[in-house]
Amino acid sequence: MTAFKKIEDNLRKEAKSLLESGKVTLVLAYAGGFDEKHPVPYVAKAAADADRLVFNEYCTHNMARYLTRYPKGTRIAVAVKGADSRAVVQLIQEGKVRRDDLVILGIPAAGMKNQKTGEIIDTRTTGSAINPVIHDILLGDEIHGVKAGSPYDVLAELEGMDKDARWAFWKKEFEKCIRCYACRKACPMCYCDPCFMDASRPRWADKSPTGDGTLMYHLTRFYHLAGRCIDCGECSRACPVDIPLYLFHKEVAKECEVMFGQAAGMNIEDKPAMANYKGEDSDQMLGS
Amino acid sequence: MLKKIAIDQFSELVKALLEQGLLYAPVKGTDGVNFRAIQNPADVTLDYYNTVLSPKAVFFPQSEDLIRYRIKKDTPEAQPVPLENRPAVILGVRPCDVRSFEIMDRHFLGAGVIDPYWKSKRDSTTVIGFAFDVNAAADPADFYNTFGYGAADPEGSDVFMIRADGNLLLRGMTDRGEKLLASLGCLQAGDARDEKAFDETVKKGKAVRTRSAEINDKEIAKKLVDIFDNGEFWQKVTMACIACGACTFVCPTCYCFDISDETLFKEGARKRFWDACTFTDFTLEASGHNPRPRIFQRYRQKVCHKYSYHVDKYGCISCVGCGRCIRSCPVNIDIFGIVVEAGKL
Repeated sequence: MTAFKKIEDNLRKEAKSLLESGKVTLVLAYAGGFDEKHPVPYVAKAAADADRLVFNEYCTHNMARYLTRYPKGTRIAVAVKGADSRAVVQLIQEGKVRRDDLVILGIPAAGMKNQKTGEIIDTRTTGSAINPVIHDILLGDEIHGVKAGSPYDVLAELEGMDKDARWAFWKKEFEKCIRCYACRKACPMCYCDPCFMDASRPRWADKSPTGDGTLMYHLTRFYHLAGRCIDCGECSRACPVDIPLYLFHKEVAKECEVMFGQAAGMNIEDKPAMANYKGEDSDQMLGS
Repeated sequence: MLKKIAIDQFSELVKALLEQGLLYAPVKGTDGVNFRAIQNPADVTLDYYNTVLSPKAVFFPQSEDLIRYRIKKDTPEAQPVPLENRPAVILGVRPCDVRSFEIMDRHFLGAGVIDPYWKSKRDSTTVIGFAFDVNAAADPADFYNTFGYGAADPEGSDVFMIRADGNLLLRGMTDRGEKLLASLGCLQAGDARDEKAFDETVKKGKAVRTRSAEINDKEIAKKLVDIFDNGEFWQKVTMACIACGACTFVCPTCYCFDISDETLFKEGARKRFWDACTFTDFTLEASGHNPRPRIFQRYRQKVCHKYSYHVDKYGCISCVGCGRCIRSCPVNIDIFGIVVEAGKL
C-alpha cells in the first residue's frame, strides 16, 4: 500500500528545498482543509508554506489543472500522481507548458479514495496509471504488483447496449446536468479561453439548461478531448450530481488508442493524436 | 395541533398530499437525493441527510420561461407565460433550509419590486419542514449553529415533522399548516405523550453541534468592506477555486439569474435561469470589459454579497450554514473558514 505519511514528509522536504534554493517560485500540491477528508489544492510560494503541505488518500485533485494559469517561464514544481503526470505530458505535447519550467514531483499512489463515497478510486473511474509516467523527483517508492485491470473494462456494459439504449442512458444522465461547468473547470485539458460555451457571438448553445444546450456542451467537450483525455476522472468527481462523464471519455480514448496506437499523455515524444498524421493511421472512421 | 402517522404508513400520507395538488419531496436518484415533483408515492424517501440541490428550485426553478414567442414575417407574436399558482406542498425541508426561504423572500418580495414568479409559487406552497436525525452527528461541513438554528427547529415551516418511535409526528405551525393537517384523513390525533416527544426532539435538536462561530451581522459586514482591497488575503483563500458554479447552484440563498431569448427556427422563449458570480462571463460587459476578470475577485464578490452587502440591503446574512457549497465544491473550499478568518483580520 501507499506510504502516505512518507510521501507527505518527502513532499514538504522537497518543496522547502526547491523554494529555498530558488529553483522554483511555486509548488503546486495540497494543504489541509476543514478536515482530513477534504484537502485543498494549494500553491506554496515560500519555504515556510511547505509545512502546510499534506498528502493523503483524499488528495485526488489533479494539480496539473493549475499549470496553465501561469505564464511560460514561471518555474513551477508540481505534485502529480499517475494520471496527473499524463496531464503534464499532454500539456507539454500541446505546447501549453514547457518541460524546462517544471520540476515534476512524482507520487506513486494506489488506494486513493473518493471523498464523497469513500470508495477506492480504481480503473473504473480513472486510468490504470499508478506510478507517474514522468518525474524529476519521486516522493515515494514505485508501486509494483498491484493488479490493475484495463481502464476500458468498465465500458463493457455500455458497449453491450444497442444504440437506442445507449442514447436513453446518456439522455437520462444529461437531464441531471445543472450546467455548473465543474467538469470543464476541474479538467486539466480544458484550458480554452474562452470556452466555446461562453462565447456569445456566435452563441453555440443555449445558456439555459435545456436538453439541446446541455447535449451540445457535453458532446463538444467529449470530442474536443478525444486523444487528449488522460483519464484522471476529476470531471466525474467534480460533478455535484454524479454524471459518469468518465465513461464517455474512456470510450473515446479507447477508440483513439485502437485507431492511432497511442494513449494520451504517455510519452513526451508523441504528438497529440488529433494533431498528427501518419500514413498508417486507421481509416476505420470513414467506413461503415 | 399535533397529528401522527406510523412510518410504515408514510406512503398513505404522500398519497393524501398528492390528492391536494403538486407535491415536491425528496427522491433518491443517481444524482443523490433531491426534491422532485412526485408522480409515484413510492418514490419519496425519508432516508437522507440533506438534498444535494437546495429546495430553492421549487420557487425559483433553474430555468423558467417568462415569455414565449413566434417570429412572424412582419411582427413577432409574444405571450407572457401565465404564473404558476397551483396549490403545492414541499415535504421534507430541513430546518436550516426553511430559513433560506425567509432570506429569499426579503430579496424577491421585500426589495421594493415584487417578483411575481417567486411570489406566485411561494404563496401557493405549503412547507412541511423535517427535523434532522437528532441522535446523529451533523455533517462536518454544516455550520447552521452559527446562525442560531437547531437541528429540529420548527420555526418557519407551515407544518413541522419529526420521527419518533416508529411514528411521524406533524405539528401545525401556521394557519395554512393547520388547515393542511386538518384536511388529511390518514392522520391520527397525537396524544400528550406525542406532544412531549415532539418538544423533546426540538430541544434535543438544539444540542446537535455543527461547526459554529460568533459572527455578528453588522461587524462582519463592515469587516469585509474594510478588507475588500486586501488582495493578498483574497488570493490566498481562493487560490484553489476553479471558477465553476457548483457552490452557487447548490446554494439555497443564491438568487442571481441571467435572462436570454432562446430561439429555435421561428419559435422561442425569453428565459431566466440561474447564473453564478464565479463564472468568467458573469460581469462581462458588451464592450468586452470585465470588471472582475480574476477568480479571487469573483469569489470575493460571493463572500461579500452573502456576508456584507446582503446585511446592508436586507438586514441579514444570506447564508444558512447548510454546508452544501462545501460538500459540492470540487476543490473543498470552505466558505465558513474564510469568513471566520476574515473576521479575525
